Amino acid sequence: MVTLGTVYFYICAALALGGALAAVSARNPIRGAMGLLVLILAMAGLFLALHAQFLAAIQLIVYAGAIVVLFLFVIMLLGPSATSQRDLRGLYPRVFSGVLFVLAALATMVLVVRGAKYVVLPGTPRAFGSIDSFGKDLFNSGLVPFELSAALLMVAVLGAVAVAKGKQGESKALPAEPVEPQEKH
Amino acid sequence: MPLALALSPFLVLGFGALLIMLAEAFGSRRGGMALGSTIVLFATGLTAAGLWMYGLENLKGLEAVAPWLLLDRFTLFFQMLLCLGSALAALTAGGYLPEHELDRGEFYALLLFATFGAMMVSASGDLLTLFLGLETMSLGAYAMTAFRKASPRATEGALKYFLLGSFAAAILLYGFALLYGATGHTDLAGISKVLRAGAVKDPMVVTSLVLILVGLVFKVSAVPFHAWTPDAYEGAPTPATTYMAVVVKAGAFAMMLRILLTAFGDAQSMSWSAGWPPVLAGIAVLTMTVANLVAGRQESVKRMLAYSSIAHAGYLLVGVVATMRAPQQAGASVLFYLLGYTVSTAGAFAALVLCGSRGRETVSYEDLAGIGRRHPAVALPLAFFALSLAGIPPTVGFFAKWFVFRAAVESGFYVLTIVAFLNSVLGAYYYIRVLVYMYMREPAVGAPVAVPMRSGYVVAAVILSAVMVIVLGVAPSDTLDVAVAAALSPG
Repeated sequence: MVTLGTVYFYICAALALGGALAAVSARNPIRGAMGLLVLILAMAGLFLALHAQFLAAIQLIVYAGAIVVLFLFVIMLLGPSATSQRDLRGLYPRVFSGVLFVLAALATMVLVVRGAKYVVLPGTPRAFGSIDSFGKDLFNSGLVPFELSAALLMVAVLGAVAVAKGKQGESKALPAEPVEPQEKH
Repeated sequence: MPLALALSPFLVLGFGALLIMLAEAFGSRRGGMALGSTIVLFATGLTAAGLWMYGLENLKGLEAVAPWLLLDRFTLFFQMLLCLGSALAALTAGGYLPEHELDRGEFYALLLFATFGAMMVSASGDLLTLFLGLETMSLGAYAMTAFRKASPRATEGALKYFLLGSFAAAILLYGFALLYGATGHTDLAGISKVLRAGAVKDPMVVTSLVLILVGLVFKVSAVPFHAWTPDAYEGAPTPATTYMAVVVKAGAFAMMLRILLTAFGDAQSMSWSAGWPPVLAGIAVLTMTVANLVAGRQESVKRMLAYSSIAHAGYLLVGVVATMRAPQQAGASVLFYLLGYTVSTAGAFAALVLCGSRGRETVSYEDLAGIGRRHPAVALPLAFFALSLAGIPPTVGFFAKWFVFRAAVESGFYVLTIVAFLNSVLGAYYYIRVLVYMYMREPAVGAPVAVPMRSGYVVAAVILSAVMVIVLGVAPSDTLDVAVAAALSPG
């Protein structure tokens, strides 16, 4: 049965797939960033269809608004050097493993869809997905993982600093000294 | 209040890590970072030990954080184990980083937060916190691998580790998503309940199990998902290699035991005909054989130790498979093996660090040639830890293997045990080769010669590991009792 919801889902899914493909395959980094933007917008649309309005809004503000813009800044700062030369090394293995992976993923999907019993997941309450209920969930039942995710963010920031700072104060290793020729006794 | 007490290992480590981070940012002296980190880690481990003796059953209100965090003896055992491994890595870093002009305090903060992630992994009873902990642990390890930025080899290893690790995490997450779709639960106990009620035969559950196994096997770096290991281990600064070999591996095994025994602990999932044991047994055989064959051909000692850590993952998997029939005994043998492996491997890396100095780092077998005669004091520990890794009594390596093999035999896995035994004989070849180079070879004329470094921190790490290797190797029974008490029971 085709409902408006299904049509909406397929449109968003097709846009997301197209955007992802463009982001991966574009040689011009600006086009790649635009493909990413399409993917993010389509994902926000999918979230909306799941009644997750807050998540959709956050997706738009954080990813589309902040991260893609950051990418664009970096690409523009780098200028023409951001476009990489076409690299044909290992083309066949790359294409072969890509195709193999897609086939494996498709086989997995077919296997899952054909044999799946549809489990009715717990229904969503009326206010599901609103900022209000999201906040209540986050600070009540989900408090522990929320607090623990602080460690994850901290590690990510620290890791970025550690990797970015690496070049300063680090000198080339000294060449090793050769061993003296041994005297025969 | 009892809850805060039960969570105290997390709190001590979390606040300690923040303190170390702030001390790095605002402090003027650099020297005490390694000492501070070690103190924080030992304090955390001792808190866990204190809780173990006090008894968690005397504390009320632990269900407030369940199922996100399960506070049981399994968790406490891993908290102590992870803190020990991490403290040995921090001590090694205390000597290694200044010597090789990498002394930036972020390393210690990363080490502590990543250990926090590993502790989260071992305590998690829910797929969400499990994944959060796993990522915290892995991101720290990626950053530590890339720490030596001037070296192209380090960058290559870190990039490989990061890309493949992210890919494996995505596959694991796909498995989690399918499992949630099939059962409607993210907590392991809830999943187990639904699976027992008959959802096991659902193809979605089977597919999710396969995907989850791929992710887990990648994290413990077993064949065929081991390709990143030698490059990452070789490129990383040696303390980071210690961390990866010891803490990340222990955390990954904690995760594997939690998921397989708690979520997939029902009769059918644990059966030989329709469950995960035959898959893991195949991977174990493949891992041990391939790793031992390739390790013998390495010219770099660090790469050899990387393959050795892959081979040890294979022996550990034998123990995990044996939990199918003897959960208590085999689970305890895995925990004991992890402890023995931790002290032997961390000690071996610390001794390797001690053998070299700036610009004259010992990397290959050739670098070690004749060091036994020139510098017997630093060669002896390396030889000793190599013997422990090979499993020669009276070191802990012998008893660790003995317990795992005994558990496998008593569960009726004769073929698997014979393969594992033959492999450990094969593995002795490349550990003994270290000794041969150190004591029976002389460096080639004109070849670079290693000069040992001086560092109280690294010496402390070597002594601490050596004492534990000896004590656990001579009197393992008390520690084994602790491991038995900590072992998970299925379901």
